[in-house]
Amino acid sequence: MKEVILDCFGEACPIPLVKAQNKIKELEIGDILIVQIDHSCAMKNVPDWAREDGHNVEVEEIDDGEWEVIIEKVK
Amino acid sequence: MSQFKDTMVKISENEFYKKWLRIAWPYLTGAILLSLFQIVTLATTGNPWGVSGVFANWGAWIYEAFGGNVDKWYYFSSPGAQTTLNNGFINDSGTWRNIGIILGALLAVLLASQFKLKKLKSTKQVIAAVLGGTLMGYGARIAFGCNIGALFSGIASLSLSGWVFGAAMFIGAVIGSKLLVKFFM
Repeated sequence: MKEVILDCFGEACPIPLVKAQNKIKELEIGDILIVQIDHSCAMKNVPDWAREDGHNVEVEEIDDGEWEVIIEKVK
Repeated sequence: MSQFKDTMVKISENEFYKKWLRIAWPYLTGAILLSLFQIVTLATTGNPWGVSGVFANWGAWIYEAFGGNVDKWYYFSSPGAQTTLNNGFINDSGTWRNIGIILGALLAVLLASQFKLKKLKSTKQVIAAVLGGTLMGYGARIAFGCNIGALFSGIASLSLSGWVFGAAMFIGAVIGSKLLVKFFM
């Protein structure tokens, strides 16, 4: 089980989403992908996609206007 | 002081604060408000809501401020466009609406405590932004409207052109996304 951090600070939509979708393909089941974002609409589309895909998702606010979307790959 | 701090902590935990100012409103709420305000816009200014056309006028006023002249430009040649330009920056309702959008967005992000100055990630990102902005701005002008003036206001006015614009914009967005992923990621 590993944890991968994907730095998407400064990236606008849809780049964080596309990067997260590409990255999760490289991971094994049980791995954790942490997507770091500072673009508020990525806070909606990244978790929406990950939940729809069936993964476990949590969003954490780490600073003003900065979030981490924590995705556990379950399938 | 500690009492003040307690109050601040409580505000950030307050359910109403979270619901109204912090968490993004649902799409449906936004859609209803946009529809209501565009009716107000049409009723008060006599013109449907538009955004990008105002920026072209700002460009013309800046150009004129440096001694330029756009009277002979085809885009500004209509009597309506000439009247708007001659009335000046501060008498244009669209100008104030756009300033309101910018200040309103700033206020919303400050109230939600989510303001952040974003760093430029790479020159590639700068090139993509400038290129994309130029294409969108130019496209909006030759289409006589952007996704607000041509699409939203067009469809709301029961004009066929709004639907045509929507279909063309969808195709453009698909091509644009493919180019973005291929060249700028």
